[in-house]
Amino acid sequence: MAVYLDGTEVEEADGLERAAELLAEAKLPVIAGLMTDIAGAQSALALAQKIGGVVDHAAGEGIARASRLMREGGMNPVSFGELRNRSDRVVVLGEAPLQADPDLLTKIFPEKTLPRPGDNPRELIAIGCKPKGVPSSAKSSKVDLGNQSLATGISMLAAAVAGRSFGDGESALGKSIATAAKKLKDSAFAVFVYSPLELDEPSLHVVLDMIRELCKDTRAGGYTVAAPGNGDGVNLCSVWTCGLPVRTSFAHGKPEHDAWRYSAERLVKSGEGDALVWVDALGGSDVKPPKGVPTILITNPGQAAPRAAKIVIEVGVPGEDHDAALYLPEISGIGMIAGKGKASGLPQVSDILDAIGAKLNAKEAA
Amino acid sequence: MLIRLKGGRVVDPVNNRDAVGDVFIDNGRIVEAPEGRQPDQTYDVSGKVVMAGAVDVHSHIGGSNVTLARQLMPELPYLAASGGVAIPPNPSSWGAYATGLRYAQMGYTTVIEPAVQPTHAIQTHLELAQIPMIDTGGLIILGNDDFALRQLHRKASKNEIEDYVAWTLQHARGIGLKVINAGGAEAFKFNARTFDLDDEVPEYGTTSRQIVQAMQHAVQDLGVPHPAHVHCNNLGIAGNIDTAIATIEASDGVPIHFAHIQFYSYGKEGEKGFSSAAPRLVEALKAHPNVTVDVGQPLFGQTVTISGDVLRQFDGRKAASPGKWALYQGEGNGTGVVPYKYKAKSFINAVQWAIGLEIFLLADSYWQVLFSTDHPNGALFTRYPEIFQLLMDKDERARWLDKLPEGVKEATNLAEIEREITLSDLAVMTRAAPAKLLGLTDRGHLSPGAVGDVAVYTDKPNKAEMFDRASYVFKDGKLIMRDGDVVEVTWGKVFQADPGFDSKIERRVKDFYGESYGIDPKVFGVPEDIANTEDRFQMVPCRT
Repeated sequence: MAVYLDGTEVEEADGLERAAELLAEAKLPVIAGLMTDIAGAQSALALAQKIGGVVDHAAGEGIARASRLMREGGMNPVSFGELRNRSDRVVVLGEAPLQADPDLLTKIFPEKTLPRPGDNPRELIAIGCKPKGVPSSAKSSKVDLGNQSLATGISMLAAAVAGRSFGDGESALGKSIATAAKKLKDSAFAVFVYSPLELDEPSLHVVLDMIRELCKDTRAGGYTVAAPGNGDGVNLCSVWTCGLPVRTSFAHGKPEHDAWRYSAERLVKSGEGDALVWVDALGGSDVKPPKGVPTILITNPGQAAPRAAKIVIEVGVPGEDHDAALYLPEISGIGMIAGKGKASGLPQVSDILDAIGAKLNAKEAA
Repeated sequence: MLIRLKGGRVVDPVNNRDAVGDVFIDNGRIVEAPEGRQPDQTYDVSGKVVMAGAVDVHSHIGGSNVTLARQLMPELPYLAASGGVAIPPNPSSWGAYATGLRYAQMGYTTVIEPAVQPTHAIQTHLELAQIPMIDTGGLIILGNDDFALRQLHRKASKNEIEDYVAWTLQHARGIGLKVINAGGAEAFKFNARTFDLDDEVPEYGTTSRQIVQAMQHAVQDLGVPHPAHVHCNNLGIAGNIDTAIATIEASDGVPIHFAHIQFYSYGKEGEKGFSSAAPRLVEALKAHPNVTVDVGQPLFGQTVTISGDVLRQFDGRKAASPGKWALYQGEGNGTGVVPYKYKAKSFINAVQWAIGLEIFLLADSYWQVLFSTDHPNGALFTRYPEIFQLLMDKDERARWLDKLPEGVKEATNLAEIEREITLSDLAVMTRAAPAKLLGLTDRGHLSPGAVGDVAVYTDKPNKAEMFDRASYVFKDGKLIMRDGDVVEVTWGKVFQADPGFDSKIERRVKDFYGESYGIDPKVFGVPEDIANTEDRFQMVPCRT
């Protein structure tokens, strides 16, 4: 491993010492990115509690939105296994789901499924996306939104499902929406597939309301595309640790969650946050840390220049260099991925964060 | 280190002891009074009550279902506290860490999480690993999963079913097996909205009765100490005492445990068609000594209900308070979460409250009727001391009864019950009986050789105050709590039963998950080092 301070390689102990000083001096340290495994998330939460900091995730925007929806009105999440085995009508909303996993349709529509309700053939209903390679095990239909937005399409569909009138009912789009709504009402188990990152908040509410409407007579639910960078795993860990999702501050004793106030990007840009620990350890992400405050960057070798941050610390990739608990979309929960290169000798994210915590303890004791 | 607890009232029913005397702990274990050795530490506990650490057989403390509830209702501690419920108004109050501290504060040292989804067992164990102070264990849910249903459908051999149960226990590292509305969650996937003991699971043709019996016998024949832990059909429905009794009768003399039985002790007498059937239940228990139950006592106030009985939770959504709910539709049972507020002004809630207490107070044996609130479903575990007071103080019950809606006294028998349970009764239902039922022979009592888990309470007339904060709590012989404050944070063990199986089952399970889910089951297997501590898992020996 290597540790860099101001672009120059230093001894690990010196680098960690300097990192601890930086955090000890900060008024509001921010621990974010958090593209790491559960062990890394646990250590990040422990460190945030110790130093009165904030935790956020690189996908915090979408996670916070989904969290707010959940606590405002609840949700009907469907596991990937149930989606794959028992759904008859699958509505894909927007482009994000198929972008996130190009093989998604093959996985959703296998040749054979477990026993499933009803006798409808399985069918994909695409709204606001252009599916390619729909497996032969499924029928496929598309709602062409024309020049209307996805949000409008979702609202029209929800109105049609609830039996309410909506504008443009006589247009081609209106008719296409009405056909899709009828299919949903006649379904035995309809599942909506979407990404909370792509849909705005009102649209997400409309989707969830539509699911609840369908549930009155049949079975329905939503399958959300997993947040990148183990966002769902890190968020679950935050919830079981302190009762709140990411974008939570420990600065005032009790944990406090605020999706806007405790966004890492906002805190750094506004200057409210004055030190940043950014963890980008799952093989390198396109999401880069917000700039403007002294930063401790914890990442994999080759992912950042030594000068990319005040302090750069190299760690292994969870699930490659070491065994790791990560959110796995295929089980809609946390699973274990065995490491392949146990001889890499690289530390884990949790090792580094715990070591910084230990240095802070030593400082307090001194 | 030799510790002497000197001059307390030692309540240890396993040893027929309820008298003033000493208790000695050496190297983490209870020992006989040593001759010729001076204690390293002596605690004067005169005027105090000394009991074994308490054991909770059924409390939803961690895992993907509990965390789903935390996601739905982060405001629970605030809402509950604002209504007077004993829980700090802080979102982290029902996080993992606070859970361990509060349990220890009340003198609990072992707690069983009763609903581990096999595919999410890793999350449960990660969460349990962050709960300090207490030892834990998990019950693994089967009976609505397609592999088991397929086995029953094709009339697989007894051995093969046992192998699958044993594989599941090992893979998910459970101490026992849980069955929740057997077949009902699967039927819900086919849009059933009710499911009875002899209803057939669509496509699989097997009945709830057959599933329960298959699981019950598998656990028994495997020699797993904790019998099948069953959540019956028809939870919460007026007249469901018939279901409970039919399920008890179907148990055929083989050990079985029924969870939160209060929720199945409902008659349909009276003007409102809802009444106590506690006496019928108690009679059935007398006639079936193979059966144990925990009560699932409700208390008035805000809580949230968490259950793998998705069929029941879906119906329960109509009563959600606050008005929101989450239903996770997943492998096997899935989970339903519905916020709920038990109201003293509600006839139904008041009758439920009275029924729970009746079951406790009419019980013949506390080896058979165990303490629980089915946390958080009946009441938050933080409130156990309030229930202990109700059981030990008939005047307190009368005060409550007088405040309840008209007709509650007629619909229940509580007003006529004079019984006040003794400290020994309490020690059986909160210590000795659950430990025995779980096969944890080294706890629940203070015999020499038992683990040094000891709770010392200051005797007070107000039992709610007495049990709210133990004066001393020892875990494995270490003082961890004093007057409700942390002395030392310790991390416990997880109990696991591993009866073993024919390795052929591994291939079958692997093929099933590969074909149906596109995954290798090893991704949801719980590794031994999950908590990053040595000897995290402790085996509970199975009968051979």
